[in-house]
Amino acid sequence: MTEPLSKIPAGMRYYFGREARLRRAIEDTAMTIFAGWSYEEIVTPTVDYYSLFDHAMGHSESHRAFRFTDNDGRLLALRPDVTSAVARAAATLFAGRERPLRVCYVAPVFRQQTRSPAEWLRETTQIGCELIGGASHIADMEVLLIVCEFLQSLELKFLITLNQAEVFNGLIQINPADPIFHTDLRHLIAQRNTAALGLFLDRYDTAAREGLAQLANLSGKGQTLSKARQVIYNERSRAAMDQLENLWRLIESLHLADSFEIDLGDVSPLDYYSGLTFKIFVEGAGKPLGSGGRYDGLTASFGADEPAVGFVLDLDGITELLADDSRFGTHEPKDHESDLRSRWQKIYGQKTDATIEEVTR
Amino acid sequence: MILLTIAVAKGRLQEPVLKLLERAGIGFSPDSLSSRRLAIENDTGEYRFLFVKPADVPVYVEHGIADCGVVGRDVLLETTTDLLQPLMLGIGRCQVVVAGRTIAPVPNGGVLKVATKYPRLAAEHFGARGVPVEIITLAGSVELAPVLGLADCIVDLMETGETLRENGLVVVEAIAESSACLVVNRASFHLKADAVNKFTMLLNEQVLGEMTCSK
Repeated sequence: MTEPLSKIPAGMRYYFGREARLRRAIEDTAMTIFAGWSYEEIVTPTVDYYSLFDHAMGHSESHRAFRFTDNDGRLLALRPDVTSAVARAAATLFAGRERPLRVCYVAPVFRQQTRSPAEWLRETTQIGCELIGGASHIADMEVLLIVCEFLQSLELKFLITLNQAEVFNGLIQINPADPIFHTDLRHLIAQRNTAALGLFLDRYDTAAREGLAQLANLSGKGQTLSKARQVIYNERSRAAMDQLENLWRLIESLHLADSFEIDLGDVSPLDYYSGLTFKIFVEGAGKPLGSGGRYDGLTASFGADEPAVGFVLDLDGITELLADDSRFGTHEPKDHESDLRSRWQKIYGQKTDATIEEVTR
Repeated sequence: MILLTIAVAKGRLQEPVLKLLERAGIGFSPDSLSSRRLAIENDTGEYRFLFVKPADVPVYVEHGIADCGVVGRDVLLETTTDLLQPLMLGIGRCQVVVAGRTIAPVPNGGVLKVATKYPRLAAEHFGARGVPVEIITLAGSVELAPVLGLADCIVDLMETGETLRENGLVVVEAIAESSACLVVNRASFHLKADAVNKFTMLLNEQVLGEMTCSK
C-alpha cells in the first residue's frame, strides 16, 4: 500500500493566516527587545555534526535528534538546539571579539523522538539569547530581565523558577560516580516522588541523604534557601546557595519577587548547565514555555574557557497560548505604499487570469 | 470558585478514591454522585473532578487540562508522560506480575510470547534480562491468551489472584508494586502552588492516618 501524498509526518505542522501573523509579531517583539539590550542576531547551521550535540547536550538529549550520514560517513544531525553551535562559534569564530558577547536567535530545532506525548511537535522554534563572557549574578540577572521584559510586553503572567546545578552536584559528590545512580536520583527528585526517593536512598549509603531526600520539597520564595541550609551542609552546595541568595536579593531589589521562585527540586536540565538554571512557566500553559541557565564549561570544549548564560523560549507554545487570547486581536497584515503595485492594481485589480492581450492593450 | 481540576481513574480505583476524598473533607452532593456526569464539583465548589479511563489520566494532566490526577502506578509505568508524582495514596494496592500455566513458561522456538496490556513494561522487563520476546498487545481478558495458546505467559495486574487461579494460571514473578498515586502537572505545581499544596496536604493527612491505624 502506498502512503497518500496528502499525509504530513508526525509532529510537523503549518502556520497560516492569523496564526502565522501572530507568530511573526511575537518574533518581531522578541527581536526588537533583544536589539534594545544590544544582542546581535546569529544564524547557526541547520545541519551540523552529531558529535557537537552529543558532546554539548549529553547523550540522553542529543540521541533524540534526526540523524543521517555525510558523504564521508560522519554522522550529521538536524540541530536539536542552537546553544551548542553558539558556544562553538564564540570559542572559535568570535574568539577575537570584545566581551561580553551578546547574541540572539529565532530558529527552528528538530527532534525525531519527543520526550513525552504532550510534547508532540518535532519541529519547534526557539527564541533565545546567549550572554558569553559574563560570570556574575549581574549577567544572570540581565538575561532574566530580558525574559521578563519580553513576557511583560506580551501581557503574560509568568513565574520563573530558579535553581543552581551545583546544589545537586555538591550533594552527590560524596557518592561514587555511578551515572545510573545519578540519573535515577535526578529523575525521582524532579518528579517530586518523595516516597520512591526515600526507598531509593535507603539502598544507598550516602552522607547527604537528608539533603537529597528534602530537595524535592524545597521550592518557594527566598526563605526556601534558609530551609535548605538546615539540611544541606557541604561547602559546594552551600556556595551555590549563597549565589542564589545574591541573585534573589537582586530580584527583590528590583521588586520582581512576585515573578520568581526558588526550586531546588528542579534537577532535570541539560548536561551543560553548570550554575544557575531556570524554567519559565506562563499562566495558561500546561508545560514550561522556556528554560535557561549558565553553561560555563561548554566553550572550554572548543578551546576557550569562558562563562556563559542564556535562555530559550518556545515560540510555538507562546503562539498557541496567545492565539486563544482575545486581547491579541487579529494582527491584520499592514498596508504599505508601493508605486509599482498601485499602478499595476489600478489597471488589473487583483486579477491573475488576464490574457496577454488584455494586459498590453 | 474552582481552584483545581482533578482527573480520577474510573473503574477499580474510583470507589476507594471517593472514600479517601470524603475522609479528607472533600464531599459531594448525593445528586452529583448518582448522576452519570463525567465532570462533577465537590460541595464547596473548590474542586472539579473528571472521571476518565485510567490510561487517559496522565494525558489530561500532562496537557494541563487537569491540574492533578489520581491513577495507579501501573498506568504511569506504562507511559512516557512527564508528570510530578508527589504522593502515593496507599489505596488500590496490587502487583504487576508475569503469569503462566506453569511456574516456568517454556518459550516456543526460542522466543517467549507475552500477551499483555502493558507492552512497554513487559518489553522493558524481559529486555533487561536479555530474553527475546514477542509482545502481543491485548486490550483485555489477557488471562485467556496462555490458555488458548496465543502466548506462553502474560504480564498483567493482579489484585487478589482470583482471576488467574480460575483460569489455571500461576504467578511466575512480580515485576512491580502498584497503588494509587497523586500526579501533578508541572506548570500547575508552580502556578497554582497554594491550591496544589493544600490538596496534597489534605490527602497526605489521610494517608498518614491510615498508616498509623494499620500498624
